[in-house]
Amino acid sequence: MEIKFGLISSDSHGQLGKDAYTARMSKQKWGDRVPHIIEVRDEKFSDPVERWIVNGEIQGGNVCNCPTAMNERGYYPQRWEEVPRAVYEPAERLKALDRDRVDGEVLFPNGPGGTFFYDNAEFELDCVRAYNDALAEYRAASDRFIPLAVIPFMSSMATIVAEVERAAKAGHMGINMLADPSAAVKGLKNLGDPFWHPLWNACQELGVGVHLHASAGLAGKLSLPQWKGYSRRQAHCVSTLRNFCTATQIVPYLIFSGMLDKFPRLNWVFAETGLGWVSSVLEACDHEWGKRRLWTDGIATRPSDLFRRQIYVDFWFETVGIELRDYIGVDRILWESDFPHITSTYPNSWDAVEHSLQGVSAEDREKVLFRNAARLYRLT
Amino acid sequence: MQLKYGLISADDHVEEHGTVWTQRMSKAKWGERIPHLQTQSDGSQRWAIDGVPAERGPVTEEKQMAGAAYDPRQRLEAMDADGVDYSVLYPTVAGLAGERFGKLADADLELACVQAYNDWLIEEWASVSPRFVPQCIVPIWPMERAVAEIRRAVARGHKGVIYPASPMELRNVPHINEPDYDPLWAVCAELEVPLCFHSGASSKIQMRAGDTFTPAAAQAFDGIVRSVSSIAVLANFLFSRVLDRFPNLKVVFAESSLGWIAYEIEYADYQSAADGLQSEGYSLKPSELFQRQCFVSCWYDQKSLRVRKYPSSANILWSTNFPLESSTWPSTRAHLDRAFAEVPDAERRQIQWQNAAKLYNL
Repeated sequence: MEIKFGLISSDSHGQLGKDAYTARMSKQKWGDRVPHIIEVRDEKFSDPVERWIVNGEIQGGNVCNCPTAMNERGYYPQRWEEVPRAVYEPAERLKALDRDRVDGEVLFPNGPGGTFFYDNAEFELDCVRAYNDALAEYRAASDRFIPLAVIPFMSSMATIVAEVERAAKAGHMGINMLADPSAAVKGLKNLGDPFWHPLWNACQELGVGVHLHASAGLAGKLSLPQWKGYSRRQAHCVSTLRNFCTATQIVPYLIFSGMLDKFPRLNWVFAETGLGWVSSVLEACDHEWGKRRLWTDGIATRPSDLFRRQIYVDFWFETVGIELRDYIGVDRILWESDFPHITSTYPNSWDAVEHSLQGVSAEDREKVLFRNAARLYRLT
Repeated sequence: MQLKYGLISADDHVEEHGTVWTQRMSKAKWGERIPHLQTQSDGSQRWAIDGVPAERGPVTEEKQMAGAAYDPRQRLEAMDADGVDYSVLYPTVAGLAGERFGKLADADLELACVQAYNDWLIEEWASVSPRFVPQCIVPIWPMERAVAEIRRAVARGHKGVIYPASPMELRNVPHINEPDYDPLWAVCAELEVPLCFHSGASSKIQMRAGDTFTPAAAQAFDGIVRSVSSIAVLANFLFSRVLDRFPNLKVVFAESSLGWIAYEIEYADYQSAADGLQSEGYSLKPSELFQRQCFVSCWYDQKSLRVRKYPSSANILWSTNFPLESSTWPSTRAHLDRAFAEVPDAERRQIQWQNAAKLYNL
């Protein structure tokens, strides 16, 4: 990837086209269960709206989550024809990147994508393959796109590993993971279970990192019961704010499970979690490790050293974590725009960058803005 | 108030001894439902509350602290050894966040257990030394009972009120944001006692250690996730409008830590602006509400002190977290010297004792 602007977004959301699944999945085998868009009624709107439907289930939310790509910022399109092509067509999306003066972007899912839990492992696998193939087309269009694969959670480990290997060959540079698969689907194993070891091993050998995005599937779990009295805006604030609670628990989980020493070259990436919490979590981990002498108990390496060896974290608006960057590890920090979601810095990403990086040396700036991402994804 | 060392520990725990409740509750009325110690077949002891054996035994994790965990006179010696002037007290058997009796289905039994704890803490701890700062626990529901018990306890000498942050997960009571709780906020503001949300009030927001963790690693993990689980509590509370509606209420987030609080405050300001919340009648930004009314208590923090301006040095309390295994005891002084090396003296005094002295009216 050519570095022209000096800025890589390590968390953006790549929308697939409306025919992404229908063009790739067998109509004969799956019929109308294939993800596609249909017209439905929604009580909040007087006119008919469009929604994705998967396995016969209408997907919540809007037809596309892209409120910062709209002319009226904050508006969520209700029909596919309203969705700007910059959200789902690679060539148009490159223009949006240029406008925001961003060199490249890591592509997390935009619905439907991510998980396909419909009590049918074969259906899930076909959806996953279609998703990974469709998203790989971004990479084929330009090396400014860094796609991340999704995995067929309900398949056998051999099938999961085969899909990750296939996706890596097609240009994917990481995988999306849930913080606790066992909380998502009955029968799946939790993150620390040895069941996942072949996957960690495969990712380590392929050099692709494991990515946990925001609450990584635990939004409804690590949260007080939602209060019915909240307005839509309040509810969104509360739910967004507590998402980083997952990361603050998964980092200690990775450390105290012994997984990081077991797979010492595997990278873990926390997207849309911010940075500021890292210092207190590492202080807590180091403190507990020291008080309990856990080096005598299988946790050979100091937790903050483990973090600085194998974990990356993203920021987009903050100053707290930047002030603490030396302690977090300036080599472990990535910048993100979160395009095209509501919290995104687009199209004024450099204003956000300058707000966060006041007083930061040129060397550190380059690291957090693009050099760390370039190293992690082997871009240059 | 007399200061010898210049440190008020704003979050410590008493360990309730075996006869706290049996001495104070009617055997005729409650029988075996009274919290008491049961000897197991292997000779170890377990608490039984309402006839149900608890998961944990009675003994504080770290053996060398055991005596000082139970005994106020030994506790004073432990405080002297560690350079602590005053100690703000939270429970152990009654729940680190005072949540245990809220799980009881029988509100009469709940009240009797709560009152016994509150009486015991005054009779056996506060009466021994003014260096103990007693805080009462509360029957979570109904509100008239909660308020009456707070009035009774404060009249007896309690200086703070411990209330579990998610009562609706303990038993079938309204969501904490509902106006039903207004009498709780009002009475704390009126009596000028802080309302304390200690971490650990809800087990649901804490991940469990995996099966493959060693016991010591699992304990370390449990302690950390208990503390950070308050992220979810603060996220709700900052937007609940309780702080707006009760501007004289003071709230303590005990056993949290500085780094994530600083980040969450900055995030709350950013997100409420991004979501346009200023159009919905909030008089202050989340950071301003926090600085006006909230306090964070820390203990192991070092580098995170660099971002103390986000909550502000006037809103930070220090603690040793005695007698939990993660306590800085007995080397708190050395820890403080390292942690505060770059902090100006005026702010150091604020954080180490002035804020707590003012908050608890010592």
